[in-house]
Amino acid sequence: MRPSFAVTWTIARRDFVSFFSSPKGMAIFFFFLIFMGFFFHSFLESFINMQQRAPAMGGHAPQLEQLFRALFNNTHFILLLIIPAVTMASFAEENKSHSIRLLLTAPIRPISIVLGKYLAALMVMSLVLLSSMVIVLFTAKYGNPDIGVLLSGYLGLLFLISTQLAIGIWISSMTKNQFLAFMFTMLVLFLLLILNWIAQTLSGGGMMEDLLMYLAFWGHLENMVKGLITVKDVAYFVCLTSVFLFFTNVVLDSRRWR
Amino acid sequence: MLEINSLAKSFGGVQVLNDISFKVEEGQIVGFLGANGAGKTTTMDILCGCSGADRGEVKIFGHDITAEPLAAKAKLGYLPDIPPLHTEMVVREFIVFAAKLHGLRGDKIATRVAEVLSKLELHSVEHRIIGNLSKGYRQRVALAQALVHDPKVLVLDEPTEGLDPNQIVHIRELIKSLAGQHTIILSSHILSEVEQVCEKIIIIHKGTIVREGTYHNLVEEMESERSYILRVERNAAKLVSELEGVDGIAVPRLESNTISFALRQGAAADTTDKVARKVLDGGFGLRELALKAKTLEDVFFQVTK
Repeated sequence: MRPSFAVTWTIARRDFVSFFSSPKGMAIFFFFLIFMGFFFHSFLESFINMQQRAPAMGGHAPQLEQLFRALFNNTHFILLLIIPAVTMASFAEENKSHSIRLLLTAPIRPISIVLGKYLAALMVMSLVLLSSMVIVLFTAKYGNPDIGVLLSGYLGLLFLISTQLAIGIWISSMTKNQFLAFMFTMLVLFLLLILNWIAQTLSGGGMMEDLLMYLAFWGHLENMVKGLITVKDVAYFVCLTSVFLFFTNVVLDSRRWR
Repeated sequence: MLEINSLAKSFGGVQVLNDISFKVEEGQIVGFLGANGAGKTTTMDILCGCSGADRGEVKIFGHDITAEPLAAKAKLGYLPDIPPLHTEMVVREFIVFAAKLHGLRGDKIATRVAEVLSKLELHSVEHRIIGNLSKGYRQRVALAQALVHDPKVLVLDEPTEGLDPNQIVHIRELIKSLAGQHTIILSSHILSEVEQVCEKIIIIHKGTIVREGTYHNLVEEMESERSYILRVERNAAKLVSELEGVDGIAVPRLESNTISFALRQGAAADTTDKVARKVLDGGFGLRELALKAKTLEDVFFQVTK
């Protein structure tokens, strides 16, 4: 039996290359870096202001980590636009152009297809994230940040992104309309973002509220942004990612009976 | 060998396939003939594991497509009605991609890709982007992805649809050249194509198989019902409606001033006399009244009317 990783890699490579054969790939880089650069610039400006005023005000000067905490939390909002743009085409485009039949009639397991497409999206977003680390280099050169906390924050973003991608790919697998895939992915990601704010209103407290709070992205990302990597948070992201990849596998495999 | 047993499928309450069963022997070319919407593409999709059936089974060399999809698909090459192409890819790169998906590795990829490129005369465009190619070339690239792993069973869904006459001839010749090495099932609504290429013909109508056999079988089956062609100078449409009223005449049809009609079994011996008299008395201007050789078209019209 052929190792299925070879097929997964074949699919991932094709999707990855195709991402950059249209202006879409570049547009994603451009928008992510422009937004992140803008946030970094404005936070840096107010950070410097606050630092200069701190002695006069008699308070403590703000820490660089606080600047990055604000930056990472805002990156979450940028991702609401970027992730759906990366995943919307994943399956929806192939469903529409019927090129999905090439994959469906080949002797490969549906999970190899799902993992291939997921890996391609993850590689794209990892590159995007990597290129944004120029901000870290900049800060390290002119300031004295705690690199450990920064890297933990980046790891948190990577975990967040990997879960968001799995959700986006699952939604893309259910439609042939890329616009619908984009809108619904954005909606679901937005709901997961605000879940901790609306948990109280939705559940009225108790166990239900705890569950909703646990399901929300915010708390788990917040820990990592603070420099705290816990098994609980890593398990949360890994489990959620696996669940949505499994859902995608079910959607694809169910074509045999539908 | 390909075996389909009691396949049934419905979409939203409409029965698209109804108890389809047939068998294709190894090395045979079988034509799957039907009007648009008869259920050809649905059958092909189920056959290749792209969608499921409500009932029934598909076996490819003994492997059930639902229960053992990997083993069954390993023997299968599929050219769907809409070519499954990644238009942003270069031709060669795309065929290599298809080869890898089908499990080819190492030197085997280069050998097989070179073989299909030359068989399909794609060498001149192998470094071009698929999206920039003409429809004929795209169809050939799609056929290349179905052939690259040298499958035992080749399923071709309307392979010449939308091509110009030269391209059609080329694709047909190619399909004929594949006979013997591959078991081929070819769907089409172009009768002459099936007549020229296929050894066995299956006619499907409204999701049910209505005739099955070799071309000669099918035509001979109709011999008891003789058909004629009739050409007149004027008012052919009016004559058709008058012929509908004549006893013993079945389905008169008008096609570019030529009327064709068939005599029902047991029609009176003088039925053609009556026809001739109608033409002469009505002043239609008789130009030709002749017994027509049977064609697949007659069979098709008879069974799908």
